[in-house]
Amino acid sequence: MLSDLYTRRALVWAFANRDFATRYRASVLGWAWSLIQPLATLIVFAAVFTVVFRIQAPPLGNGNGSSYAAFLFTGLVTWNLFSSLLNLSMSQLKSNGELLKKVQFPAWTPILGASIVQLVQILLELAVLIAMFLYLRNVGWTWILAIPILIGALLFSQGLGLMLSIVNARYGDVQYIVAVVLGALYFLTPVLYPMSMIEGKNEILGWIIRLNPMSWYVQAMHDAMYSLVAPSALVIGGLLLGGFLTFWAGFAIFNRWSEDIGEML
Amino acid sequence: MTQTSADPAVDLRGVGKRFQRHTDRRNSLKERIVRGRARSSEDFWAVRDVTLQIPKGSVYGLIGHNGSGKSTLLKMIGGIYRPSEGSITAQGRVAALIELGAGFHPDMTGRENIALNGSILGMPRKEISAVTEEIIEFSGLGDFINDPVKHYSSGMYVRLGFSVAVHMKPDVLLVDEVLAVGDEEFQRKCFDHLYALRRSGRTIIVVSHGLGQLEGLCDEIAWLERGVVQEHGTAVETIASYLRRVNAEESARNPMVAAVRGEDDESVRAGDQSVHVTTATITDLDGTPLTHAETDTTFQIRLGITAAEPTLGPNVRVALQHDSGTLVSMLSNHRWGVDFGTIQGDHTVSMAITDNPLLPGRYRVHVDIFDYTGSKLLDSWNDAVEFAVRSPRGEIGQGLIDLPVEITFD
Repeated sequence: MLSDLYTRRALVWAFANRDFATRYRASVLGWAWSLIQPLATLIVFAAVFTVVFRIQAPPLGNGNGSSYAAFLFTGLVTWNLFSSLLNLSMSQLKSNGELLKKVQFPAWTPILGASIVQLVQILLELAVLIAMFLYLRNVGWTWILAIPILIGALLFSQGLGLMLSIVNARYGDVQYIVAVVLGALYFLTPVLYPMSMIEGKNEILGWIIRLNPMSWYVQAMHDAMYSLVAPSALVIGGLLLGGFLTFWAGFAIFNRWSEDIGEML
Repeated sequence: MTQTSADPAVDLRGVGKRFQRHTDRRNSLKERIVRGRARSSEDFWAVRDVTLQIPKGSVYGLIGHNGSGKSTLLKMIGGIYRPSEGSITAQGRVAALIELGAGFHPDMTGRENIALNGSILGMPRKEISAVTEEIIEFSGLGDFINDPVKHYSSGMYVRLGFSVAVHMKPDVLLVDEVLAVGDEEFQRKCFDHLYALRRSGRTIIVVSHGLGQLEGLCDEIAWLERGVVQEHGTAVETIASYLRRVNAEESARNPMVAAVRGEDDESVRAGDQSVHVTTATITDLDGTPLTHAETDTTFQIRLGITAAEPTLGPNVRVALQHDSGTLVSMLSNHRWGVDFGTIQGDHTVSMAITDNPLLPGRYRVHVDIFDYTGSKLLDSWNDAVEFAVRSPRGEIGQGLIDLPVEITFD
């Protein structure tokens, strides 16, 4: 698998270049859109959930009260990483379909190329998050732990994305199922609310949320970035391993199923 | 096997490709759950049992009707489809020109697209930058190369696509119906380039309906019918057999094309009908009706006439008109000095066209009969019969007839 990834890196890079160059080519504001969009979501959600639903965010790691906006954005960045890679991966086979029907090359290369460009977006959002915490003077060594957590989340999302994209190429219903499931999963991940609001109040809901892998990635990010508490080594190791295994499985399934990609599309 | 090369560029052994009917593909989960796995009865073989050795450094053509499996075969050689059975071994880098400019991104400039297309076709980045200028030069796009390709004309688009594909120096180049690109000058450039590729020992496999084009380009040709190789061998021989089959099939399918017309025809006749044309037929020398006339082969225009009363030496005049409306020739027994004498009852007039000099196309026959003096019209039958002239070599003529010509050179 690794040798495949290595020998085809030029092609992945060529697709990344294409997507990077064309992503915002026709728009005036260009890459500014990649920040305007999540910030708009943040402002709307923060207003609705603090004013209407009066959700209380947990205390900041520096002991200076709490910030729902910062709490929410930490979760949003992590969730966006997951959902954007999933959706982007699923759309790639279709948008490169004409090409895949006429030229022989590994079908995962445009998917990974698109994800590399999405990585730029994710890093931009992370930069805004860091700026927010710096403004709140909520800084700690536990930030370092965000790196393995995010790598785990990236691998997990990409693995799932590869898997779903190839299944979707064969069965067109999958994208609609995924849209429904993602909509529900969003509320079953502690993005809008802290886990403390569930724990001890509704055990069944608590278990459902804990069964959702994304809850673990989001919570670990909350701990490391917002609460400045180090998640246990077991959790970090588990998130990394889970990411690696999902990616490996996703890649293997993709390769197995994509042998007849030229006919499926 | 007409030729067995010790070291073929592409070696196909018992290759077959099975498809499921598109309407029955279970690509929704509901269908998958409701109907279960594929029913084998819905399968069909697009290509079956193809064994061919394509010699290194040759130009190899694939011909056949639409849906005969030639494009499927090409896609299997190119690795886009996997064969359902049999094996394909290709030596070196295979590049498929299935569609020119496939993979161009409309928002990217020509130059950016060269880099992308080269990568997709499997070219290392260093090689791409080495040939980029050559590609631009060959495409003749000039300064347009820095414009987004969405502003290109379709001709510019395919010119760039062709240039990229042929400059990646594949060992085996697969070409599917893409030879008709650009203007005449660019086409000549393309052909020159294909010949140059062949000279440098590369193999080219072409799928095309342009038989004339293939005859000039290919060393060998395989003819496919319903996925099975009917014949393979030298270009000239294979094309000739293919055309014989096509012509035979056409006349079997459409008997009206057979050049026979009888009296029941509804056309309005002029003249006093004292002599009447009953039938008009295109036949061979033995009088057997023909579906079409072949070039360089003697055929007859055979007319059945009947005279109610004894009639003194009538003049039967046959006008031969090309489909475009041009009168090709006017044949008549009086002009050729043939007097039928006094006729009564049924007779047959045969006019043999020796070594048919007519070029391929459709022709109509009009018949007029005049009395002995040539001043009184007895019968006139417009569009008495229509027939096609075909060339066994598949040539498409330019002009109407081949003049007898002798060319000398001092």
